Amino acid sequence: MRSAFGERTEILFFAALALLSGAFVLSVCVGKYPITVNEILNILSGADNVSEMTRNVFFTLRLPRTAMAMLSGFSLGLAGSVFQILFKNPLASPDIIGVASGANLGAASAIMLVGGSMAAVAGGAFAGGILAVTLVMLLVRATRANSTATYVLSGIIISACAQAAIMLLKFFADAENELAAMDFWAMGSFGGVTDTKFLAVMPICLFGVAGMILFRRQVFLLSLDEDEARMLGVRVKLIRVVLLSFSTLAVASVVSVTGLISFIGLIAPHIAKLAAKRNSFPVCVLSGLTGSLVLLIADCLARTLASAELPISILTTLIGVPFLVLFMSRRKEGKRL
Amino acid sequence: MNKLDAKGLKAGYGKKEVLRGIDISMGEGEFCALLGLNGSGKTTLLKALCGLIPAKEGCCRIDGKPYLEFNERKRSRLISYTPQRHSVISGTTLLDAVLMGYNPYLPLLSSPGRRERLSASAALERVGFIGMDGTGFDELSEGQKQLVILARAIVQESPVMLFDEPVSSLDFVNCHHVLRLIRDIIRENKRAGLITLHDPNLALYYCDRVLLIDKGVIAGEILPERTPLPQIRERLSLLYGSIDVLEYDESYYMVKRS
Repeated sequence: MRSAFGERTEILFFAALALLSGAFVLSVCVGKYPITVNEILNILSGADNVSEMTRNVFFTLRLPRTAMAMLSGFSLGLAGSVFQILFKNPLASPDIIGVASGANLGAASAIMLVGGSMAAVAGGAFAGGILAVTLVMLLVRATRANSTATYVLSGIIISACAQAAIMLLKFFADAENELAAMDFWAMGSFGGVTDTKFLAVMPICLFGVAGMILFRRQVFLLSLDEDEARMLGVRVKLIRVVLLSFSTLAVASVVSVTGLISFIGLIAPHIAKLAAKRNSFPVCVLSGLTGSLVLLIADCLARTLASAELPISILTTLIGVPFLVLFMSRRKEGKRL
Repeated sequence: MNKLDAKGLKAGYGKKEVLRGIDISMGEGEFCALLGLNGSGKTTLLKALCGLIPAKEGCCRIDGKPYLEFNERKRSRLISYTPQRHSVISGTTLLDAVLMGYNPYLPLLSSPGRRERLSASAALERVGFIGMDGTGFDELSEGQKQLVILARAIVQESPVMLFDEPVSSLDFVNCHHVLRLIRDIIRENKRAGLITLHDPNLALYYCDRVLLIDKGVIAGEILPERTPLPQIRERLSLLYGSIDVLEYDESYYMVKRS
């Protein structure tokens, strides 16, 4: 596997994993109810000198929340890099084919129409995301022009429709509760993650992630021109739909629990690519790890910066932008990755 | 036995018929050129032959198999296609770019193994990249990139290889280098190759047979080793108008007549 990895990528993997472990411990400790590293070790070793409260916070809130942030970051980062390769566009992210606006509409509808219980919002968002992408695929099929450009256009159309519907819902929403809930959902937060929610979406998300990993070789074949890929034996239309479905499953399951998380799917792949100076599948995985790392740090800050929890998207943007600017200014002229 | 047999091939875009009945057959180890002016149907013919655009009529076989009815995966084991402009494969190594040629043989979800890596590396050596498996594809010049694409076509191991103006963006030296390699590989491995070219001199110099395509039909054929000079001159002028053909060092060269 040496040539697929490359030494540089290997070092980056170790670095990312080391940083991620650090961020993991930090994320489990900090928050409104701080837990010390000693207490965690005691909980894990089964010692009974830890208060019931601490144990509860650790198992039902902190650990699921941390795990959810890692899983979300990984899925968004991986899906982001797959999208950028598939669409041959460095600005592509999973939102491009409407999963985010669909999920947003689904969540908004759940808030308005079925009262906005946690489960209903999550279910609505997940269904909305999947539905939007399904509509995009049907639209692409109907036009019989199965190019990536058609996907982008269809994504724009479906997103626009979803946005219009959201505006309509917002217009009729009760400003005190429903409107606030919709807006808050669209800014994303890990505040509401519990063990049950995490365990409910994890299998779906991992299924999507596993699918993308299994089809890794096809991802790069689809980065070629369509004719070239077909003549290398790739059933382009089929494989493209399969890959988009896997990534949509991963992304929709994540946002159904967390609300919209902006920017991770776009910047994580760029950070990974600029750091690795290569673009192979290990770099896509590295992009996933980068996503996890950025999201964990963002979530720690969201919990500690203010007395109330901040929405996650504010922080992902704040952290992501300097990263991107730093790498952008360091990359050599004329080199496009 | 013929590698490729195409009879009465008709194809086009939408209602427009570009190819109006093409007959081509190519034998083992034969390197054929396709000459024609812009819009004569050269690229369309290549695309129809490899099934990228559907044939409206006609029958194409490779080693006796009606490959146009096969799916992409099975078809790509029989025929390879090098497009005019290869895609930008940014950030990959030469070895990974060549390994893409194994896709028709690998199970959908598995990765190339040691055997594939070794022979991809050998294919890279064959086209002149020794010990450069890990080099980035972006770092190469245009001519070198074309050679990597050629190495990818080598490992694809298809009996028929099609090339759509692979040398149109290369300089004089690279152009000759690439064409010589293509010819040698086709002969060594007993494949059949069809290439479209803009420059008749390259076709006359490197190819065993030159097909002239005009308005969607094959308008003539030249066998540079056998066809006498006056006939070569006559057939080429049908396509190119006022030209002359000169002989130099056992090869023919077309020049513009003033």
